[in-house]
Amino acid sequence: MSYTQRATPVFAQLCTFLVQDIHGDLPARVLNVLERRGRQRSSELKQSSYLNRIQIGHGLVVLAQQHLVFHSPSTEPTTFYEPDWCQCYDLVRVGKIAAFVEERFGQKASNVISNLLTLGHTSLADLLDAYFPSSQQGDGLTNTSTGVAASGDKDTVTSADELYDIVHTLMEHGWVIQASEAQYLSPEDLYNFAQQQALQEHFGGSFPTGTKDKDKLSQLVMANKRRIRDAWLELPNSSSSSRKRKANAADCDPCARQRLNDGQYASIKNCRHSPEDDLVIRVNPEKTAVAMRTHHLVGLVEQLIGSTTARLYEIILRSLEKNIPRCFEDYSDPAPANMEDQPQWEPNLDHIVNTRDIAQQAKIHGLDICNGLDPHAVARIAKTTSNGKGVLAQPVDHTTLSFHQREELVEGHMQLLVDHPLHFTTWHARGQYRVDFDLMAKHLIQHEIEDTLLAKHGVNGRKLVRALLRKGKLEERSVCNTLMASAATVRKVVNDLALQGYVETQEVPKVDRREAKLSNHLVWYDIQRARERLLHDTYKAQLRILQRINFEQEKAKELLNKANRTDVAGNESKYLKQSELQDLKKCQEVVEKLYLQLQRQDDLVAVLRDYCGPFLTA
Amino acid sequence: MASASTAPPELASKAEEGAAVAPAAEDMGSRADMLYEECAKRPEGTTFFQRDLTGMQIARDLNELLNLVGDLSNRHLLKPLQFEGEPCWKLRPKDIADKLRRLVPDERLLYQHIDNAHTEGVWSKALRAKTNLAQPTVTKYLKSLESKDLIQAVMSVKTPNRKMYLLKHLKPSEDVAGGPWQNEGDFDSALIEVAAKVVANKVEHDTCIRVSAGWNNYTSSDRQAVIAHKKAQTKSMPDIEDALPVQPYHPPTDSGASRLVHRSNPGYPTTITLAKYLNETGLLRGKTVRESDMEQLLEMLVLEGTLENVSASTFRTVIPPINQKFNGFVDAPCGNCPVFDLCSDEGPITARTCAYFAEWLETTSEEP
Repeated sequence: MSYTQRATPVFAQLCTFLVQDIHGDLPARVLNVLERRGRQRSSELKQSSYLNRIQIGHGLVVLAQQHLVFHSPSTEPTTFYEPDWCQCYDLVRVGKIAAFVEERFGQKASNVISNLLTLGHTSLADLLDAYFPSSQQGDGLTNTSTGVAASGDKDTVTSADELYDIVHTLMEHGWVIQASEAQYLSPEDLYNFAQQQALQEHFGGSFPTGTKDKDKLSQLVMANKRRIRDAWLELPNSSSSSRKRKANAADCDPCARQRLNDGQYASIKNCRHSPEDDLVIRVNPEKTAVAMRTHHLVGLVEQLIGSTTARLYEIILRSLEKNIPRCFEDYSDPAPANMEDQPQWEPNLDHIVNTRDIAQQAKIHGLDICNGLDPHAVARIAKTTSNGKGVLAQPVDHTTLSFHQREELVEGHMQLLVDHPLHFTTWHARGQYRVDFDLMAKHLIQHEIEDTLLAKHGVNGRKLVRALLRKGKLEERSVCNTLMASAATVRKVVNDLALQGYVETQEVPKVDRREAKLSNHLVWYDIQRARERLLHDTYKAQLRILQRINFEQEKAKELLNKANRTDVAGNESKYLKQSELQDLKKCQEVVEKLYLQLQRQDDLVAVLRDYCGPFLTA
Repeated sequence: MASASTAPPELASKAEEGAAVAPAAEDMGSRADMLYEECAKRPEGTTFFQRDLTGMQIARDLNELLNLVGDLSNRHLLKPLQFEGEPCWKLRPKDIADKLRRLVPDERLLYQHIDNAHTEGVWSKALRAKTNLAQPTVTKYLKSLESKDLIQAVMSVKTPNRKMYLLKHLKPSEDVAGGPWQNEGDFDSALIEVAAKVVANKVEHDTCIRVSAGWNNYTSSDRQAVIAHKKAQTKSMPDIEDALPVQPYHPPTDSGASRLVHRSNPGYPTTITLAKYLNETGLLRGKTVRESDMEQLLEMLVLEGTLENVSASTFRTVIPPINQKFNGFVDAPCGNCPVFDLCSDEGPITARTCAYFAEWLETTSEEP
């Protein structure tokens, strides 16, 4: 089973809670049955729950529409259902996705993506229909199903072409992908499917026997999986380019757009039957992790180096994002058995940036790139002088610098990023820097674990884990020597951490009987174990937060019911008493605080789970 | 290395023989003293071979030299040793030799074994095994040797419950006493703290620069700023592919406080330079920090998060985070909850009955 799809009871429960929170009780109950019973037919679902056939049908439709369940391929006579835990968990990120898209592509794109998130997967024609309902539907029914407001607001999409354009851009950047049936295949089904394909194509339908052929088969299976997945990212090539051109032409001339708007009805009519309308699209769940990684890294640079450097780093990472469809390759080729055959590590050429481009971008954003650097260096570049305390004799205005000077200043910031132990960037060639995400992912995980231990156990907890990571398995005395602390201090920390599962202890007897005095006591640390431990704890904490939100809302149930009444909503101050208003405000604040914390914990989950695959330790 | 032993047998017997046939005993005594004085002129701790002693031209012939050496050995002024089968000698200070002369034989035996252990020291139990003396005798004589200022007892760092004995004038080796950071078998945390602070300050001074708030007090020439701003706006508006249409909010960077910034091309301090620096400050009275000691301290500082490695042996200061943030897990009550593992969906500890949530959210929880 895929690494990320492994579900512990806590994780499954958390996912069920999230589904309940967003899609209601019925899908959550169906999911709950699936969680308890595993892979099921819909008829079996009926037997193992108190739900009837229709209810189960409705529940499954919602789950399937939102890609929250896997089902076996439609070619098979019976359909089996299985929960898709990752997608269920991703429900927590709905708000984030909209915010990320808004930051990158503006309000309108964000509007489109939130509609896509609400709809699950949808055909382009349906989406268009939701925005610009055709006359057949009648005026009274406008948009009630999707809640899209197609008024003339500047934040909403005003024309079909604009919508196509936005969807095209989002697809180009990998935020939106084509929906396909293969996305409903569980990891196991996908493996079987890919294996069948490989067997048919290369081995005549029968299983190979030799070791070499078996290796080849597993490679082919992975290649097939990759091919299936990469096909989702492809842009529909038919008429999109021409459509894009048209949209651009309209953009350039506001009057033309106006006319188009007037003739909107006709233009929609025209494209009604284009093959592109049959295209079914959905949000790419993998891209969210990429954006979250960018966000996290920028935050980290801001904390560890400085805000100006962080802004430059943001520019770098965002410019790379287009080339990165996912954080790590889930279907990489199996590693060869002997070390010699291992392919040499090669830098990913997609992750390279030019200082020239960054300097240009920084200028566009009006960034004061002199900040955050050694004043002496700034003085040297700007050809002025600075005194011993680093105050410039003639202040330097960053807007007046020459291009070459800006480039040098940017180089200075890049050097800060390169020199940092987390290696935010790596020097690649003159004027070119590379971001090694894979190498960084491990450091990020370690950083989070250390942060957690620092907060929970103080400096000594972090010191111990760092020492063990650097030196491997250590005996008690060498731990004392490395930490330069007394045995009593060390023992306390080791015990605390061992109890919580972050480090492990091992006792090796020196003589043939087991006696504490005559044994070596070793302490060791495995990043993968600590990572899973922290991840599990975080899931549990998230679950507790959701439970607490339920509890808080339950406490104020009557008040919330009253406030949600259609006549009261929006006119709270008019209909509610002063005390009720205060209580309502307090309750909303509490719930908001809890949701915020849930989101922050999700950031931690992303670091621990989504930026790289499991570490294999021998 | 010269290994100590009793005087080589044939030489010793010859020496005794020589003493028996000595014509003028008092002359011999003064000549032996002359030999001792001559040897004492050499650097302390020199090992003398037969050829060195003949080279001093005090004894007229080999026989006489043997007599002289025998005499000095009997008076404990020379310590007989053997190096690769060849006899050799070392000088003993006169006061110690005096004390040695007054010892009883068992005491002397113990002294010899302790002497053999050099700076490593020898454990009392090992002494008993080597000398075949009874425990009370060993204890008694060790005490008397200690009271005569001939030996000292040290607590071993490696095995904290063992008393190691070594000669009084020797400094216990690293293995026994630990480095400069250790005191009586344990880490001297106060000393380490002070030394760490001094080293960290030195590294900070070398690799960082404190930038005050108004270091670059320019007044932006309005026209150009406006043009740049306009340009940025027009550039970012139509092309949504160019990122960052919305500038996220950031607190002003020049918030009035000075900030620490890494120097652009510093000479990074190394283990050796820092060890030298610390020794020059004279902070550790009477102790010197060797390179390996400094390595230990610096490694600890790296683990602590005060310093970071630039390369294997160069260091720089870690700039403290502007606002220390932890992750969402530890900032919520669950991350620091002492009963987190006991918390479940039902039972006495749940999210509904949680006291920590109640405190954090300033609301009330259910009574369990």
